[in-house]
Amino acid sequence: MQQTGNINQLVDHLFRHESGKMVSVLSRLLGFQNLETAHDIVQDTLLQAMNSWSYNYIPDNPVAWLHRVAKNKAIDFLRREKKFREISPAYTYLLQSEYSLSPTVNNLFLENEISDSQLRMMFACCHPSIPVESQIALTLKTLCGLSVAEIARAFLTNEETISKRIYRAKEKIKAEKIELEVPSHDELQHRLDAVLKSLYLLFNEGYNSSQPDQLIREDCCEEAMRLCHIITRHSLTSYPRTKALLSLMCFQSSRLNARLDDTGNIILLKGQDRSKWHLPLIQKGFDYLDAAAEPFEISTYHFEAAIASLHAAAPHFEKTDWPSIYHLYEMLYELQPNPVVAMNKAIASAYAINRSEGLDQLLKIKGLENYYLYHTSVGEIYYELAEKKKAQRSFETALQLTTSQQERQLLQQKIRSCEPV
Amino acid sequence: MEKFMLIFQGGDMHGVSPEQMQASMSKWMAWIDRLAKKEQYVSGEPLIPGGKLVSGAGGKTVTDGPYTEGKEVVGGFFVIKAKDMDEAVAISKDCPDFDLGTAVQVRQVMKMDM
Repeated sequence: MQQTGNINQLVDHLFRHESGKMVSVLSRLLGFQNLETAHDIVQDTLLQAMNSWSYNYIPDNPVAWLHRVAKNKAIDFLRREKKFREISPAYTYLLQSEYSLSPTVNNLFLENEISDSQLRMMFACCHPSIPVESQIALTLKTLCGLSVAEIARAFLTNEETISKRIYRAKEKIKAEKIELEVPSHDELQHRLDAVLKSLYLLFNEGYNSSQPDQLIREDCCEEAMRLCHIITRHSLTSYPRTKALLSLMCFQSSRLNARLDDTGNIILLKGQDRSKWHLPLIQKGFDYLDAAAEPFEISTYHFEAAIASLHAAAPHFEKTDWPSIYHLYEMLYELQPNPVVAMNKAIASAYAINRSEGLDQLLKIKGLENYYLYHTSVGEIYYELAEKKKAQRSFETALQLTTSQQERQLLQQKIRSCEPV
Repeated sequence: MEKFMLIFQGGDMHGVSPEQMQASMSKWMAWIDRLAKKEQYVSGEPLIPGGKLVSGAGGKTVTDGPYTEGKEVVGGFFVIKAKDMDEAVAISKDCPDFDLGTAVQVRQVMKMDM
């Protein structure tokens, strides 16, 4: 250890990511019912690091330092408790003997075992019997190292609500005796879908919700991608749909920087400065989409990623391949006939066929009466059909349905543009 | 230049997230860096919590401790150089952890002029 002056030698989010890894590994070692203890050990470890590293003693290998301290704390806990059978049935015999105690613990901290533990943790947190909102909260807490306060900020709610969601998840884990394991073959498909769905929602939460705290939103997107990455790399879960989801996330996040202007207003796809799109992410999006083609499999993520890829490939909004996008939405709608997909299909038809076709399709949709984007889209088409009165009315309805400051600004602008000159 | 000891006391880490810890740590390092560049940083060490208290005639009594109130526990110290107490106090105000309840005790090192 040396006292250095370099403050930039720690990777961004190192603590957060290591927290997720160590909680996963320690829960596997100590048993899922000791999740709290795992959290406590990790918190202690990070505090110890913070207290000494703050004085500029950064170890040469910070990650190894953290793992060593966490390991020792876990071994202390195991020696103290001596209830190996209850703690960790999988490792009972290995943990009982001093000869095998340390090697067993060390072994779990090897790189491939770490990602294996994270994968098990994802399957447990996203167990289908846990309500989805609780799945996401628990995932953010255990795998992503976010505090309850940070999760509450990401979801624009209070800490109590998030604590309740996490509590509910833990109760389910106890009641259903959910284990930290990768599901067996016949269960795997169905369980994997639940994990992917949860990551998809987490990503969208970050991507779509416009809220004052830009950073925390980007964190949600980044964490969803990081976890999706882990699933993609693991041989048991590297299905084409996993890659398709990751591809979709790459395309979407490539546009994050172009989505807001300097004053925090939302810029729609049409008005975005495409030079601000992040090219390396777009490239990755295409790579994963290619990889998702084989073996043949169809998922909603495939269609959504393909649609996103067509947007990414268009040099200007006007050059977008709307006929293909419309076709993809038609196929997506067959697989997932819900009103939001119907809305997007209708919007695509407005460009692929014509505005009146788009309007017809939009007006037939039931179930989006309280969704501001629906009314915004209807307003947009009325506006382009030069029916400014009707457009204005739709924008006003939309305005009443959103509390987001950024979206309100955007809508007020649109309403003003409908006023007769 | 005079020498001063900054003694960091207390601070509540309850519920602090990993991200906040890393952020706080970066601020500490940046603070040390700034002082070092101005040649005002002499040394600094963190202290392990807990310890022993030796007292009584001949140091006979050794107890665990000092167990003081959490807000008084010393977490570490800096030795810095400053023109006078005012400057040392000004420097202390850069401590990144006031939000977490940390307090800084500023003490001047006595010079023995013989």
